[in-house]
Amino acid sequence: MTPPPPTAAPVPADTDLMLVERTVAGDQKAFELLVLKYQRRIERLIGRMVRDVDLVEDIAQETFIRAYRALAQFRGEAQFYTWLYRIAVNTAKKTLGDLKRDPLVPESALRGGDDDDETSGVENELTSAETPETVLAAKEIAATVNAAMEALPEELRQAVTLREIEGLSYEEIAQVMNCPIGTVRSRIFRAREAISAKVKPLLENQSGKRW
Amino acid sequence: MEKMSNMDEMVSALADGELHGEAFARAMDALATDAHARESWHAYHLVGDVLRSAELASPSSGTDFVARFRARLQDDPTAVPAVPVGLPVHDDRDAPSRVAAGSVPANAPGFGWPLLAGVASLTAVAAIAWNILGGSAGAPPAAAELAQAAPQPLRQMQAESSRPVMIRDARLDELLAAHRQAGGASALQMPAGFLRNATFESPGR
Repeated sequence: MTPPPPTAAPVPADTDLMLVERTVAGDQKAFELLVLKYQRRIERLIGRMVRDVDLVEDIAQETFIRAYRALAQFRGEAQFYTWLYRIAVNTAKKTLGDLKRDPLVPESALRGGDDDDETSGVENELTSAETPETVLAAKEIAATVNAAMEALPEELRQAVTLREIEGLSYEEIAQVMNCPIGTVRSRIFRAREAISAKVKPLLENQSGKRW
Repeated sequence: MEKMSNMDEMVSALADGELHGEAFARAMDALATDAHARESWHAYHLVGDVLRSAELASPSSGTDFVARFRARLQDDPTAVPAVPVGLPVHDDRDAPSRVAAGSVPANAPGFGWPLLAGVASLTAVAAIAWNILGGSAGAPPAAAELAQAAPQPLRQMQAESSRPVMIRDARLDELLAAHRQAGGASALQMPAGFLRNATFESPGR
């Protein structure tokens, strides 16, 4: 794979910030998109601090409620997830304090020096939200994603890798792959469609409920 | 933004922060109403999360979680984010107003400010009218007496002399007289050793 160019390219728009602004303007569904986007990461984070399976989801819910209420205090100076991360940790600590319990993992162990790097430190520990069934389902989803990724045509795999793993913008990927931005967008979309077509049947409640 | 083949492609671009303006608004409209678009939004983020970390693989579609979140918000009418000062809104073309979200802004027509302003105006007019009417009906106020009495000494002075009279402190005249030789007298009738008068005298004068 061609390494990314060293020159800085224009940063794409901060979709999270745009969704926050929509929410503050009165569009609650915009915030629900942020909930959908970050639910897994927040539950994963809380699951390292709390053993009770039900409590993890309760704290995650409370985290998003608190974030929604305090959205006016989010100024976009930090990443939205960094801000949400702090709320989640504080909510978990407060809940555990109210229940007079200690966190499973101290906050310092959750962080690897970067707020976004919440997956470091305790890689292989079974979290409270993981039942044997969910562990099995999660493994199946991960294997499905990897298999679908391997089956992609090279140009699609390269495009989605540059986007999802390397975090490059469409313009940067266009430079790397020497193709128009529209082609980059189409390749990333087709890659996602191919992978998610394999994953969607494995998800719970898919197409069973209306939004 | 170039034309995109379908809504899912717009959702994919939105997830990457590559949608702006009208395209952003259209994608948001679709995500607000179209369950399939939301499924795609969830699935694309799930794929990205799993590619970055297998730990984030989860069988949850997010539907139940969001439904519960929504129910909690409905149960709690105070859970409305306030408008931050100075935070611009990129595109609120179809966003519901904040009034509809449950909060009534202080400058809303129905808030009562117009009524309050009207009462304040009437109070001010009544106070002024009370002063005016009360002054003509009863004894003249002190300010009116002063206004009528003040011009009289001036008219008296004008009757005594046609020359204009400069009113000044007599002690100042004594001081000036005492120091006239030392400091010299200027045309301004004041000691001005440091002042020089410039006069123009032509031969014809």
